[in-house]
Amino acid sequence: MQTNVLLAIVFVPAIGSFLLPIAGRISEKLRNCLALLLVLTPLIGSAFIMPMIAAGEKITIMHGLPLGFDFILTADQLAVFMALVSSLISAIIILYSFGYIGHYKNRNEYYFMVVLFVGAMMGIIYSGNLIYLYLFWEITAITSWRLIGFFREKEHVMKADKAFLVTFFGAICMLIGFIYIHQLTGSFDMVVIKNSLKGNPIPDIIVMLILFGILSKSATLPFHTWLPDAGVAPSPVTALLHAALLVKIGVYVFARLFVVTFSFSVMWHTIIPVIAAISALVAAGAALVENDMKRIIAYSTVSQIAFILLGLSVGGEIGIAGALLFILMHGLAKGGLFLCAGIVEQNAKTKDITKMGGLIATMPITAISFLACAFSVMGVPPFGGFFSKYLVFSGAVSSGHTWIAMTFLFGSLLTIIYLFRIFNAIFLGEGVIKVREGSKTMVFSVALLAILSILGGIYINYPSQFVQGAVKQMLGL
Amino acid sequence: MNMLLLPILIPIAAAIVVLLVPQKAKKLKDALVLAGTLANLVVTIMLFKKDLAFSVPWVGFGFEFSLRIYCFSAFIISAAAFFGFLLALYANAFASQKNYSKSFSAYLLITLALLNGAVLANNLLLMLFFWESLLITQFGMIMLGGMQAFKTATKAFIIIGVSDLCMMVGMALYGNISGSFAFSNAASLTGLGGLAFVLLMIGAIAKAGSMPFHSWIPDAAVDAPLPVMAMLPGALEKLLGIYFLTRISLDMFRANPSSWVSYMLMIVGAITIVFAVMMALVQKDYKRLLSYHAISQIGYMILGIGTFVPVGIIGGLFHMINNSMYKCALFLTGGSVEKQAGTTNLEKLGGIGRNMPITFACFLITALSISGVPPFNGFFSKELVYDGALERGWIFYAAALIGSFFTAASFLKLGHAAYLGKRPQDKDNVKEAPYQMLIPMILISLACIVFGLWNILPIKFLIQPVLGVERLEGHNYYGFPSNMLLVAATAVVLIAAFLNHIYGVRKAGKGLGAVDHIYHAPILSGIYKTQAKGRLDPYNITLNMTKIFAAAASRIDKAVDWTYNVLIVSIAKAIIDTIRKAHNGNYKNYIAWSLAAAAAIVILMIRGLHA
Repeated sequence: MQTNVLLAIVFVPAIGSFLLPIAGRISEKLRNCLALLLVLTPLIGSAFIMPMIAAGEKITIMHGLPLGFDFILTADQLAVFMALVSSLISAIIILYSFGYIGHYKNRNEYYFMVVLFVGAMMGIIYSGNLIYLYLFWEITAITSWRLIGFFREKEHVMKADKAFLVTFFGAICMLIGFIYIHQLTGSFDMVVIKNSLKGNPIPDIIVMLILFGILSKSATLPFHTWLPDAGVAPSPVTALLHAALLVKIGVYVFARLFVVTFSFSVMWHTIIPVIAAISALVAAGAALVENDMKRIIAYSTVSQIAFILLGLSVGGEIGIAGALLFILMHGLAKGGLFLCAGIVEQNAKTKDITKMGGLIATMPITAISFLACAFSVMGVPPFGGFFSKYLVFSGAVSSGHTWIAMTFLFGSLLTIIYLFRIFNAIFLGEGVIKVREGSKTMVFSVALLAILSILGGIYINYPSQFVQGAVKQMLGL
Repeated sequence: MNMLLLPILIPIAAAIVVLLVPQKAKKLKDALVLAGTLANLVVTIMLFKKDLAFSVPWVGFGFEFSLRIYCFSAFIISAAAFFGFLLALYANAFASQKNYSKSFSAYLLITLALLNGAVLANNLLLMLFFWESLLITQFGMIMLGGMQAFKTATKAFIIIGVSDLCMMVGMALYGNISGSFAFSNAASLTGLGGLAFVLLMIGAIAKAGSMPFHSWIPDAAVDAPLPVMAMLPGALEKLLGIYFLTRISLDMFRANPSSWVSYMLMIVGAITIVFAVMMALVQKDYKRLLSYHAISQIGYMILGIGTFVPVGIIGGLFHMINNSMYKCALFLTGGSVEKQAGTTNLEKLGGIGRNMPITFACFLITALSISGVPPFNGFFSKELVYDGALERGWIFYAAALIGSFFTAASFLKLGHAAYLGKRPQDKDNVKEAPYQMLIPMILISLACIVFGLWNILPIKFLIQPVLGVERLEGHNYYGFPSNMLLVAATAVVLIAAFLNHIYGVRKAGKGLGAVDHIYHAPILSGIYKTQAKGRLDPYNITLNMTKIFAAAASRIDKAVDWTYNVLIVSIAKAIIDTIRKAHNGNYKNYIAWSLAAAAAIVILMIRGLHA
């Protein structure tokens, strides 16, 4: 039963997505409902297996195939946590899309790509074999390439190409790293690899190759510039790409490989935090200069992803727990910010914050939701972002990275300033243009994300309990 | 349910009920907020003299939801509850015609709940959770001042938010050093311990409103509704900030007078006293003048606690409670004047003491208290601070005395300009404030007298227990100051301030001009003019530096982007072009290529055979 559920989590959205264009020919409503159902499957499925996983068990599906291409799906606490977070946010994004994408052409393709993306994401999360991980990884790259260039304008297509090429370059490096590992251990199966390495660090060249893949996917300096450019995509897509899923794939795989499966030599415990710190500061500075609201939020994502990377790379229970909670809280809040920006963009017909102002008067719910999500990203209690930020700091400090933590403190200062800059410019001050509130489903989705952000803080004990278990399992304590 | 949860849950519950009340049911809302704050007051008094603890699992990793009440926390939350109740009473009348009345009531209740939580918390993360949540209520309350208030609200949020982040890192460091997130493990001040202390201290003194984290307060005095000023910078933030500063100094670190943090704190305190009072002196707005005093007075508390000698700490804590009382009441008199006379601009006021005798009387008592005139409470706490400061160095004592001179001078000017002198014609019909606004002022003024004449009550029962028997070494610090020389110096300073006032008034011909000769003094006038342009505002300076950094970071980012958009593309193009040139269709070229390749293979094979 559990194994069937696990199969369904991955393959219902991945294969079901091909039905969407057909359903769209029959009726818009049918396709929309089907899309939501397909995305709800991994959410419900992961929730269904959660109690068993939380008790410490693992579910594994294995079909032997030659040449190391064994098909393996594994559900452990880390995977279930990640799957729950990403499918929850993607379900909300689909809901929002009902209101958003109805104005544009090529809706069938849109839903097809988004749902396929979610399916591939589930594949990455639950995959227990490096080759399948790579395969699903590339599916997400292809779908996001299509989605960034969704509006078909020449410039957009070029930006989509850029995003694809950068992440593809990284993925190829990563694949070479995987093959290298196969040379060392004779397997692509993560469990076999782990057992044959016996805790010895893997060669630095492999770490570097895999990091190219991870950093390019999670938009970390110097592979980050495709992400702000990807803001030309439809807003739900940018929310999907930037906030909830795509950039988290990178950090998830980091956790999966470098925390759970291999260990790397000591110097990486310093190099990666330094890369993260530079990434956090440069991106935050850029966010303070930009005037395009989606680019600002995208740079903010680059900056915040660095926090997750910091938490994961310093080693130690608290940092990793902080990073996992950060994935949850940041996904909710940043998704909310992008979706709010989408409402504003659609109704104000501009993305330039210097041309806006005073929108709180006509779109109060969007404004308050934006502010609430911004508070969570800043790390202000009672929002959930507070705890994740604190735990990451605590993890960095307790592993001796005091000065890195001070750098991130400066990054957090910039976060507060640029988020207020964008909020004040859009919603407060003098009104320049008349704008009406977004459609009901759109406003509902952003309000839901804001409410979840605050509930995540007030009822922190539920996610943190699960994360604690996950960290223990990851580190094998 | 544990009783310790009540001070958090009661105000929150009351706030939710208040928010549910329809906008029109004003009386019901007024009654509810009074009931909520009163219930809070009753509970905190019931908790007094108790030593209780409560703990349940929370975030994990050693972060429990644990609360504890003991003499110090009981003192702070009951003082806050007292102010909360009086402010609710006052604001009901003050804001009765304003549409923010309901929101203010809800914010007031939530603020009380968060403050109670922060003070009762026995775990650093839990404390920070409540403490930093106050950012949002503070932001919201300043925003009540209207659509133009957002700049000040943002400024306040950024300043306090950044200092809270410092505190966040400081707590992480402290937890790592001391091995626990409770308050009780004394950590050493060497190395990272010192950094942890500084970061935690930044959080504490920024909340209290010390320099250089002060500059939002004068702006808020103009933009935010008056009850907000009386509540946050006037009373509650002082209590909270000084409470935490005392906790980190006494309980969390082994701080003693010889440590460098002592000098750091005393320097911050001395600078805050002098610079803020110099600014207060030249203000021409009732509320703005008070707001600079709200900053200046915090300097005395930081100076007192920073001495790390018992007399100084007791003076600092006594000054904290005294200042909360008279500063809150002074803001309330300002509110009375604003509501009844329609303005707080001192140029448009004058002679309204006859119209508003009770407000004037309350102003007099509280102004004498803040100036440090016996037998009011401010005199006694300042003398204790002087005593401690002199013990640590004459320069700190001198700074405190200079502060006292200008404090007295500026209140002479304020009282003269607002309540005495010639009354503008349009102010003839100004009436006394309604009783709901008078009662809080009267009660607080009476308390100022009681805390002065019978200072044994607060010092013996509230403050000395905070230090504990060990630190006190059998000394008692109540009663009239023992060092008569200090009292004489104070008397000289106060008389000098009075003479200065008379000189200034004669010279300028009106009460408001009493300090013009200081404003126009050489050097000072230049500083005042630079300050007026906002160039000396630490917030503006930091923000400008941030902008420079951001511009540089953005350049780096653009350079990285350039390598993708231009460099890599042109390299790829160059390679493609070269290869394309080789494929020009000329068969001689292809033959040459093939021969070259064959030669290469042959060479490789030969080398392979040799190997």
